[in-house]
Amino acid sequence: MRIGEIVESSSTHFVAESLDLRRPPELGRLVKVHLEEGRDLCAVVCHGETGSLDPGRRAVRRSTKEVYDDRVYREHPQLEHVLRTEFTSLAVGLLDKEVVHQGLPSMPPPLHYSVYGCEKEETTRFSQDLYYFRLLLGVPVRIPVELVLAGHLRWVYRERGHDEEWLQEAAREVANLLKQDYERLATVLYAIERDT
Amino acid sequence: MPLKLDLLGERIAEMVQASAAENRGRWVERARQLLNSVDPEELRAKLEERVVRLPWLVAVLYGNVNGAVEVRGCPSSFSVVAADGSYIAPDRHSPLRFYVLNTGYAAFSYGQHPSALLDSSAQLYFQEQDLYLDPLVRSAPVEGARLSAKMCLAEMRALLEAAEQVEGRPLVALRDGSLITWGLQTEDPAFVQEQFLKEFLGYLDRFHTLGIPLVSYISYPGARDVVNSLRVWLCTRHEVDCVTCPSSGAQEFCTALREIRDRDLFGFLRDGERSDVFGSKSAILNRYGPHRIRFLYMNVGGEVVRLEAPQWVTSDSQTLNLVQALIYDQARRSGTYPPYPPALQEAHEGAHISVSDRRLVQLLVERSLAEEGIIYGGSAKSGSKARRGV
Repeated sequence: MRIGEIVESSSTHFVAESLDLRRPPELGRLVKVHLEEGRDLCAVVCHGETGSLDPGRRAVRRSTKEVYDDRVYREHPQLEHVLRTEFTSLAVGLLDKEVVHQGLPSMPPPLHYSVYGCEKEETTRFSQDLYYFRLLLGVPVRIPVELVLAGHLRWVYRERGHDEEWLQEAAREVANLLKQDYERLATVLYAIERDT
Repeated sequence: MPLKLDLLGERIAEMVQASAAENRGRWVERARQLLNSVDPEELRAKLEERVVRLPWLVAVLYGNVNGAVEVRGCPSSFSVVAADGSYIAPDRHSPLRFYVLNTGYAAFSYGQHPSALLDSSAQLYFQEQDLYLDPLVRSAPVEGARLSAKMCLAEMRALLEAAEQVEGRPLVALRDGSLITWGLQTEDPAFVQEQFLKEFLGYLDRFHTLGIPLVSYISYPGARDVVNSLRVWLCTRHEVDCVTCPSSGAQEFCTALREIRDRDLFGFLRDGERSDVFGSKSAILNRYGPHRIRFLYMNVGGEVVRLEAPQWVTSDSQTLNLVQALIYDQARRSGTYPPYPPALQEAHEGAHISVSDRRLVQLLVERSLAEEGIIYGGSAKSGSKARRGV
């Protein structure tokens, strides 16, 4: 399913404008960019933001006693046109026909290309190998990266049909990667345990 | 060199003190008392009698001069459409003479099926017939008031096209600024005015035929038409001649009224209320035929604005009530205070040409010239302003 369009691109990540203002992809979700036939760039959603389309304008309060939440959008139909939701995704590898390559892409994805949500089968295939956790933990992002990783673990766990075995393996991998940093490790493990 | 603000500071303080000393609030209160005491029939007669000798624009009365009409409820579903425009004027420092008109429109439907359409359109004009109203002899160049008139036509065209796309009814079409084309009053009547008004009145005809009320919305209006009518009411002389007017209480009051604007006078209107309808004595309106413009003031909830509309809008009380209700509703949906109709705001956003966009247009022209082997960086003066070398 097409969920966004790339508006900013770099070697490590890309920013896409969400097609649905109020439903950006979940934090940690695996998304893909179709580069060419049989070749998709995979990335993990690490940040989302909704604001004014024009950087010189700020969103202002629209609600009243009677009109709030979803009704605000019904009473101000222009908001769908003047606001935008963006999400940032960290590049983690390629799905090249049947082969999975985990690592940074050789070049940034093209601007204005579409971003799609990965199907269950693609998520399952990509997450078989957990090497890409290193990439996630190594790139500076705007929110603590261990929370992005925790969100990703929860999301993959659900997509894989509540795969306990995969989750335990993933937790062991995270423990190995963060063995020098107990606080960050505890953050990930606590988040997984709480929600799964 | 930075502006020497210290030199201005004292003058600003003096200016503010002089303004405060006028004690405008007291005079506004007296002006409102006068408004309430005026006999509309007598004032109407007095204005009719003196109209040719009046040195100011006065308001023509149709109803009660101090009337206030409450706002009615909105229909369950309705639409509002608005258009605005901006331009890049011909630049005499550019090697090519051209101008750009950019129009933006917003069409909002509310109620059962809410929706919004936002768009803009830019046009570049460079041919002789675009640049001169008389291209054969290259006279009447399109600049200043004539460029504003062209802009006005482009806005009307955008507004009509947007209105024709909207299916939801009732529908009200909003424009920013006046429908009275003041700027053309000093232009040649047979040539410039004729060219402009023919197209302008054609758009008014179309709105009338479609049954879409067209209204212009003037925020923070500076007009004094109604106040000037009060000055005529005060005047006891047969012919208005302020230079020879003897000093008296009435003369002092009349002089104070010069500083008061209609928006101050109608500050007594409560939220949502509007004044009665007035006519304008502007000479250009004599050429408007059935579309003669009338005006009124309305408190939109934080500001008294002036609304102008053709007489076929204001003479129908149902249509006028609808216009009042929809404009008040727009004000209530505004995200700012004092409120401003969101439809006009979004139309303005679509029409606005930013400084960077203006620079981009200039660069595109220079690049296109370079592709033809013509290297021109603009005049030495514009270059010195851009580079500001030391």
